[in-house]
Amino acid sequence: MNIPDGLYYTKDHEWAKIENGKVRMGVTDYAQHELGDIVFVDLKPVGAKVNKGDSVGTIESVKAVSEVYTPLPGSIIEANPDLETNPELVNQDCYGKGWMVVIAVISTGEISGLMDAAAYKEYLAKEAK
Amino acid sequence: MLHVSLVHAKEGAFTYGGDDMNGEVPMKTPLHHEHEKLNAKMVDFHGWEMPVWYTGIKEEHMAVRSHAGLFDVSHMGEIEVKGEMAVPFLDHLLTRDITSMNQGRALYTFLLNEKGGIIDDLFISCMEPGSSYLLCVNSANKDRDYEWMVAQNTKGAIVEDVSDLYAMIALQGPASGQILKTCLAFDLALVNPHTFAVIDTKDYGGLIISRTGYTGAGGVEIFLSPQTASLLWQSFLASGATPCGLGARDTLRLEMGYPLHGNDITEAVTPLEAGLSFAVDFKKKDDFIGKQALLDQQRLGIKRRLVGMEVLDRGIPREGCMCFRDDREVGFVTSGSISPVKGTGIALGYVDGSVKEGDELYIRVRDKLLRSRIKRPPFVNGTLP
Repeated sequence: MNIPDGLYYTKDHEWAKIENGKVRMGVTDYAQHELGDIVFVDLKPVGAKVNKGDSVGTIESVKAVSEVYTPLPGSIIEANPDLETNPELVNQDCYGKGWMVVIAVISTGEISGLMDAAAYKEYLAKEAK
Repeated sequence: MLHVSLVHAKEGAFTYGGDDMNGEVPMKTPLHHEHEKLNAKMVDFHGWEMPVWYTGIKEEHMAVRSHAGLFDVSHMGEIEVKGEMAVPFLDHLLTRDITSMNQGRALYTFLLNEKGGIIDDLFISCMEPGSSYLLCVNSANKDRDYEWMVAQNTKGAIVEDVSDLYAMIALQGPASGQILKTCLAFDLALVNPHTFAVIDTKDYGGLIISRTGYTGAGGVEIFLSPQTASLLWQSFLASGATPCGLGARDTLRLEMGYPLHGNDITEAVTPLEAGLSFAVDFKKKDDFIGKQALLDQQRLGIKRRLVGMEVLDRGIPREGCMCFRDDREVGFVTSGSISPVKGTGIALGYVDGSVKEGDELYIRVRDKLLRSRIKRPPFVNGTLP
């Protein structure tokens, strides 16, 4: 299981990363593995305002449908355009080319409420039991 | 985000009780250990712990279409009907003509209730004309089927649930014949589609090799002893068959438009509504349960039909999505997914009788309307089993 340091993690298996005061986010390796072959990604459009816990998009594997929730409020300023034609990027490179959205947040402070890599690893170990 | 709901294994309004594990120990097939060895992703399927995929649904799906895939379908139920009253009993119970079945024939047929509703769809195999038949039924319906059969058995046939005596392996795909030759020295050309052979082998004991399947890719389904199932499974794997889970099984059958009981056909619909009247023999000599209801329905007209739908927009229809035409609700999806071969959404569902082949309609998926077209399945080219 790939859980890179330097990212923040949610209990719902999203990751978030601070970049120049903005937050880039996607789903974790655990999530993409549990979902299986991802065949469809439908993201909220650029400009959409989202509250904490709102869906920023839907990802579908052959057998499952999941919402992706933002851990921070703000507005979507980028949505990964490659996922429309290559949704499998989420399987192949979930922390890189498989990113989903970039959110302009009011404050990055809230991100400290999320788990770091070590805490997420521990959380997964508990969840697996 | 992870509230993964498996479309196939979920409890629907149509399914019978027993889906919920209720904390009970899941049932395991004789091949369970093989799935663990292969690190399969396991899910609960109507109380059975089954592999949903090994490496990925798309890859497994394509392996079946292009070469060969191996499925553990040991969860399927087997019910044996024997004795001199077997034929009169079965002929009354099932929609096909049982009296004319020869040894080695396998028929797709229905168990109907008095209203013509489909209790189950199944394959019946004629082991011994007049005296011995094997019914292969859906795992989720097996207990209900058995109870129904016992309740209808006023003629004194011998009805026995023999599910524990059989493991079942499906070897599907164009390379199945080659693999059977390598592993069993068995010539697939000797069995026609929808017939079976019974052979004795040194390594695996007796095998029923049935040229049937649920993928549209050709191949066989093999009934064998739970004790030797692992050995045959390993032999097929070593000969190049790809292990495939229930996920690929579902997308493969959906590409062919084969109905799944519990989703596309239920006790609330008839074979006429489901477009499956080819498996109902109205002309056979004796009446069968549900016949009068079907005749009445035919006379009064069929108000809704099970159809195939191909999605023209980007998006995946799912079970429960509503269908619209000219802003009017005209139906709903009973099975939906992506076609791994075409890369587009496909579905089965019920629509008003007024909707015809080639008509366009919209399937509502969350907040979007997907432009779709009625298409008679198969959605991709298939081959006979």
